[in-house]
Amino acid sequence: MDTSDRHFQSDLAEIAAEKYKAGTLSRRGFLSAMGALGLVPLLGNRALAQASEVVVCNWGGEASDILRDLLGKAFEEETGIPVRVDGDGPSPGKVRAMVESGAVVWDVCDSAAGSAMVMNDAGVVQEIDYSIVDKGKVLDGTALPFAVGNYIFSYAMAYNPTMLPGGVPQNWADVWNVKDFPGMRTFRKSVRGQLETAAQAMGIAREEVYAFLDDEGIKAAIAKFRELRENIIVWGSGSDSQNLFLQNEVAMGNIYSTRAFLLKDQMEPGTFKMTYDGALLQPGMWVVPKNNPAGAETAMKFIASAQDPQLQADWFVAIGNGPINPAAAKLVPAELSEWNPNTPENVAKQVIYNDEWYGKNQVAAEELYIDALIG
Amino acid sequence: MNEKLRYWMLVLPALAVMILFYIWPVLNIWGISVTEPSAGLGNYTRMFDSNAVRVSFVLTFRVAAITTILCLLLGYVLAYTISNFATRVRPLMLGLVLLPFWVSVLIRSFAWIVLLGRSGLVNDALMDAGLISTPIRFMHNELGVLIAMVHVMLPFAVLPMLTNMRGIDGSYMRAARGLGASEWRAFREVYFPQTLPGVFSGGLLVFVLSLGFYITPALLGGGRVMMISEYITYQIQEFLNWGLGAALSVALLVATAIVLLVAARFVNLRKTFLERS
Repeated sequence: MDTSDRHFQSDLAEIAAEKYKAGTLSRRGFLSAMGALGLVPLLGNRALAQASEVVVCNWGGEASDILRDLLGKAFEEETGIPVRVDGDGPSPGKVRAMVESGAVVWDVCDSAAGSAMVMNDAGVVQEIDYSIVDKGKVLDGTALPFAVGNYIFSYAMAYNPTMLPGGVPQNWADVWNVKDFPGMRTFRKSVRGQLETAAQAMGIAREEVYAFLDDEGIKAAIAKFRELRENIIVWGSGSDSQNLFLQNEVAMGNIYSTRAFLLKDQMEPGTFKMTYDGALLQPGMWVVPKNNPAGAETAMKFIASAQDPQLQADWFVAIGNGPINPAAAKLVPAELSEWNPNTPENVAKQVIYNDEWYGKNQVAAEELYIDALIG
Repeated sequence: MNEKLRYWMLVLPALAVMILFYIWPVLNIWGISVTEPSAGLGNYTRMFDSNAVRVSFVLTFRVAAITTILCLLLGYVLAYTISNFATRVRPLMLGLVLLPFWVSVLIRSFAWIVLLGRSGLVNDALMDAGLISTPIRFMHNELGVLIAMVHVMLPFAVLPMLTNMRGIDGSYMRAARGLGASEWRAFREVYFPQTLPGVFSGGLLVFVLSLGFYITPALLGGGRVMMISEYITYQIQEFLNWGLGAALSVALLVATAIVLLVAARFVNLRKTFLERS
């Protein structure tokens, strides 16, 4: 009876040990399990195997399969080193637990600017080697010392027109207008990508958003969420937001453009729309945990290999990750171009993610945001 | 001497496991709460200053309390029926109480999502029957959390009460009736007081388990019913705020301990948990 998570860890450790003995779990998988449970110091830290594979960690679901079949296969063809994809979700907490317990099993992690900064502050990620990774093949401003852009996504307004017989929202102010646009809304369970929308709902222009969001502005934006909270269902993971639309739980909301890209095919024609107007454009980031098992060089080579424009375009077509490499935009099929967050037309409609603002304000804002939503 | 050695040999493995996998990590957590990010009580002052933490603590205790009361009410009726009336179907009913234990909490919570959603089975049935015209919000709020929590916790309330009730000798009730008490009075003054130990232990079990629970609230609360344990996870996983997260877990542990201490004033814990008749 797993009614509390506390029993869960020891149970996992047991399962992992049994599987390892039975040979169904690789040494690496075993160490990974032990590391995640914080038990590795007990085992000793010898022999993290030779770089016979690269383990890339992302957030699971379809994205993992596509990463393996596309970027993974290309890298294996290029170097002969196979790529394994772990969809376990490289949250800063997990990466830190791994690095500090000395049992790192991930070579490259799919993170985002905010989390990458958190990890860098904790000292658990390596510097990117720009003699291998090409600064010119990523969007300006996404080649940070400790992380480098991997794809582009947006937090964008999406809605279900069939649930809005009185008209569809044109902008964020309409999303806050419960009287004329009734129904539930969904927002992320984190301020990332959310306060920007509240600011726009208050009539702040796109370019002024971050200037507006000083201490006073943050309070005002949070108050907007407090005002709307009875009409909000919060999404935790991207798949949550996808389910909320699929099950008609919400009429509109602020979700990842990558999830919207999948929903456009999953929902009945005419029941789903998304717009980049007033969206927030954000780069995803590769980070390399300290002491990664395959070694820094192999990890950097994988990142460099994933910069190829054709691969980037194929990646977008498969799952909606906007190409980070500007050269890939023209390789995207014309009919899908409107879904690409990183075309000049779409970029012009959006707020550009400001990581300085996040570095300075996120933690404080996060607490106010949770406070405004819960209870 | 030999006796004593044998005693320790038997106790030692369990003790070692407890120390290694429970006491040691808990002490580490206490350590982190006063050393990260800097030594001192900073995490605790932050915690007490935070409105979100306060709201989450109140929410956690409220949800746990309501769940406990509902489980006790439902569970009492169920346990009473099983122990006093259902002689032939008793094994079956007992099996039905235990059945949910074989299914993961996660699956049970998802099942409630399928049932309670806006276009879920319950709403669809009510709409088809013409009883309602717009779907009722059964979930993504505290109501949904409570419905699912009561379901998950019910066996923990039923089992102690059932054990207790089955130990009550039927001759007391017969004697009370024979002396002229009405059925209701016999129940109230003779039967019910004897079931109190079961009620207390069931209630305590459900309450303490509910305090640390968060899977179901996270799934059915629409993200707005954030129990303190989810708040802790959030601090640790998302923000690497291990100091604050650790301080919060210490607070939860202390709060739970206080509940047990207060309960101990009213209930004989040793008797309730160790000497069930």
